Amino acid sequence: MKHNKKQKSSTRSQLRSKIAGIFALFLFCLIVIFPGNVNQGINWVNNNANLGVPNLPESGYNLGLDLQGGAHLVYQANTAGLKDNERADSVEGARDVIERRVRGGLGVAEPLVQTTKVGEDYRIIVELPGVQDVSEAISMIGETPVLEFKEVNDVPARDLTKEEQKELDDFNNAANKKINEALIKLKKGTDFGLLATEYSEDERSKVNEGNLGFISASLFPEIYEWAEGHENGVYTSEPVASSNGLNLIKKIGEREGEKQIEASHLLICYRGANGCDEPLYSKREAEERIEKIKSESNPENFVDFVKEYTTEPGGADRNGSLGWFGEGQMVKEFEEVAFGLANNTISEVVETEFGYHLILKTDERILKEYEVARIFVNIKKETDILPPSEEWKNTDLSGKQLERAEVTENYQTGEIQVSLNFDAEGSEMFADITGRNVGKPVAIYLDGLPISIPVVNEAIVSGSAVISGSFDLNEAKILSRRLNSGALPVPIELISQQKVDATLGADSLAKSFKAGILGLIFVILFMIVYYRLPGLLAVVSLMIYTVLVAAIFKLVGVTLTLSGIAGFILSIGIAVDANVLVFERLKEELQTGKSLKTAMEEAFIRAWSSIRDGNITTLISCALLIWFGAGFIQGFAVTLALGVLVSMFTAFIITRAIMRLVFAWFKEDGNILFLGYKKK
Amino acid sequence: MNIPFVKYSKIWVGFSSVLVVISIVLLATFGLKPGIDFTGGSLMELSFDSRPEVADIKVSLVDSGIENPVVQRTKDNSLIIRMQFLNEDEHQLILSDLRDDFGTSENRVHEERFETIGASISKQLRTRSTWAAILVCISIVLYVAYAFRRVSKPVASWKYGILAIIALLHDALIVMGVFSLLGYFVGIEVDIAFVVAILTIIGYSVNDTIVVFDRVRENLVKRVSKDFGETINIGLNQTIMRSLNTSITTLLVLLALYFFGGTTTQNFVLALMVGVISGAYSSIFLASPLLALVEKRGR
Repeated sequence: MKHNKKQKSSTRSQLRSKIAGIFALFLFCLIVIFPGNVNQGINWVNNNANLGVPNLPESGYNLGLDLQGGAHLVYQANTAGLKDNERADSVEGARDVIERRVRGGLGVAEPLVQTTKVGEDYRIIVELPGVQDVSEAISMIGETPVLEFKEVNDVPARDLTKEEQKELDDFNNAANKKINEALIKLKKGTDFGLLATEYSEDERSKVNEGNLGFISASLFPEIYEWAEGHENGVYTSEPVASSNGLNLIKKIGEREGEKQIEASHLLICYRGANGCDEPLYSKREAEERIEKIKSESNPENFVDFVKEYTTEPGGADRNGSLGWFGEGQMVKEFEEVAFGLANNTISEVVETEFGYHLILKTDERILKEYEVARIFVNIKKETDILPPSEEWKNTDLSGKQLERAEVTENYQTGEIQVSLNFDAEGSEMFADITGRNVGKPVAIYLDGLPISIPVVNEAIVSGSAVISGSFDLNEAKILSRRLNSGALPVPIELISQQKVDATLGADSLAKSFKAGILGLIFVILFMIVYYRLPGLLAVVSLMIYTVLVAAIFKLVGVTLTLSGIAGFILSIGIAVDANVLVFERLKEELQTGKSLKTAMEEAFIRAWSSIRDGNITTLISCALLIWFGAGFIQGFAVTLALGVLVSMFTAFIITRAIMRLVFAWFKEDGNILFLGYKKK
Repeated sequence: MNIPFVKYSKIWVGFSSVLVVISIVLLATFGLKPGIDFTGGSLMELSFDSRPEVADIKVSLVDSGIENPVVQRTKDNSLIIRMQFLNEDEHQLILSDLRDDFGTSENRVHEERFETIGASISKQLRTRSTWAAILVCISIVLYVAYAFRRVSKPVASWKYGILAIIALLHDALIVMGVFSLLGYFVGIEVDIAFVVAILTIIGYSVNDTIVVFDRVRENLVKRVSKDFGETINIGLNQTIMRSLNTSITTLLVLLALYFFGGTTTQNFVLALMVGVISGAYSSIFLASPLLALVEKRGR
């Protein structure tokens, strides 16, 4: 039987070191809770003894919204238009955007922005501690623009009817017949100019015997391609199809056009440089850094340096590549150096408004221009007979792939424009879109309205686009800021908000604090009056308990809410329970006439199973409450659970150690200071 | 001192049954008054330098297009308004209408608190609350059955779990009955905090019951008496002071919170207090007497 089992009791010296440990723990907790007061002491010592003791970091408690004021917003993301596998990503993207927006736009230092999925719904929870003007915050979050890129819709609204199909076929058959007639005449030796005047439906060139002048690839891609492969004076043996008709072409001459170079670059931006959103360096450090790279790099390892160091957004993903570009596309300082480089050389350090660059030129080419004449006949497409229901159709590219927007000036015209830089994925998509729409317009939509409809000149592989419109500098700045702070990949809707004024929060905090102190005092009085000396010892361990929990809250970073404080105060009651269970046992053991020491050791052993079983049920409830939800409930459950765990520790380690120490001061049978004492 | 609890088992159980039946009747007739957490809607707390009449506020709200606003006076110069779900535009509109109607340079209208909860959130809270309650009950039965697995005679260990559940249902029902009355007469609403209070009470009630059962278990092992009823009675007498003292200390802190802790947590604390008292009662006068009755029937 347990009864006869010899109790393992610590020797006095072990006990003493245990007590010393408890005292050290108590001091440590006090320091954690009140670093300010300790620092005052340290400063005093430093002032008087000049020891130079470093100060402790001073940090306060994390206060919940209900205690420091602020707003809790819940948004529902509208993912209806997205494919299943894209939803989570898009909502995450929207979360990032909102976080950037509240940090940058509102200046909230520690916003909490998180996503949750409830059933099929995706939600974004935004907590803005300390924010006073919640309605401004809401409008800033809600106002974030939706950026879309659209191309010409070439899908007719419905299938053609038989009559319509016949009309289309008749028209195109006639066109084919007409162009073939011209071709036969041409082959028989009729003059190209004469035929053009007779047959061509291109009113502009028809009057010049079909002569289009010198053409580049961007305006007439199909004709340019044909001209590239043929000699001067030759004409087509078959009609060449272009986007809206059929052509007979004659190549007249060629000349050298624009010079283009292919290059990549490495950018180190510094604090204050244009577009340097996350500066890593001061101007001097940036200069030192780039000079160092310059001295270590060569054309072979340049890419590795770009990958590691470039600060250009998305630059590392593209290996710093700028693709092919002509004059007038880059800032002046950059362009001058780049065009002066020999192939496969790295430039000296170039300084521009964006920072310091190193440029590696890889290739150059001179584009040719061809002089051609053509005989043109219109053909019709399905959409010419039956226009599509909407003028534009969406592409995959959206604000999700936008990395940065900035205000720039058109080098040639001086027009203010907003340039967009895409990430790696976006660059690829944009290259695709521009590639398949050469010569056609692409529309950039913001919040459902077109803001710019440029015509694509050539495929753009550099991953940047410009929105040029007739805006002034201020409008351009607002637009770029809106785009930067967030082009939301999904529309969101505010479905819940909670707002607490800061003064109400401070009032609640003060009241809860007062209630906690009073509650503690009541419990202390009760324990001492009822249990006498052991009660007093329990009070000591209760104090240690309180300080320990307060220190743990700070170290673990528990966010204190009103409910959390309620949980903590309730846990004081529960902490006492462990002691009560032990003391009741002690009383019984003393009543059976056991010696003080034996009774005490027995009491602890016997009370354990009750305390364990009881507390485990409370912990089960807490665990489910923590799972159950956010805010009020979690705050309460976390503090209560922590309190329960710590109370088991204080009751069994601390109270026991203190009792062992103190009980040894009394004679074997105890005295009236102990409840349950029997005079013998 | 030996109080013959078990002897009067039927009286205690009868008294508890009456309370539970009353609670159920109250819940069936008055029901609980659900707050915006569960119904969706908005709550706005305003403070004034000098508070206008409730009726005037209502008129102003109805003019702004609010159907059936509920306006309540709270401390000093504040008001709480409950109404339907508002989006941010509507919220700002109502606030500016109220300021137009009542705000002057001497009487500033200050928004202390604003909460609005949409239908999807309130639906989620309802389902989650139900699940949490069910899961808490199931895990507690399982744990108690596990903790008492060694004592299967004369009463099977899972029956201890069931009795603990009966005691906790008793406590939860009584708290709900009290809040049903309070909702009917004083207009106290039931919110998420109330659900938390109920779940905490459940944990607390089981804690109390377990301590008593634990003592009974120990006495069974020690064979303090041949009679099972007597074994229970000895256990009850041994634990009654503990049950009382623990309840008293917990009540002391709760009282401090209730009277000095601010209005926001008052109803929450009130629910806990009712639960603690009921929990102490049910562990002594319900669970253990029932244990004796169960054993008698088994014989």
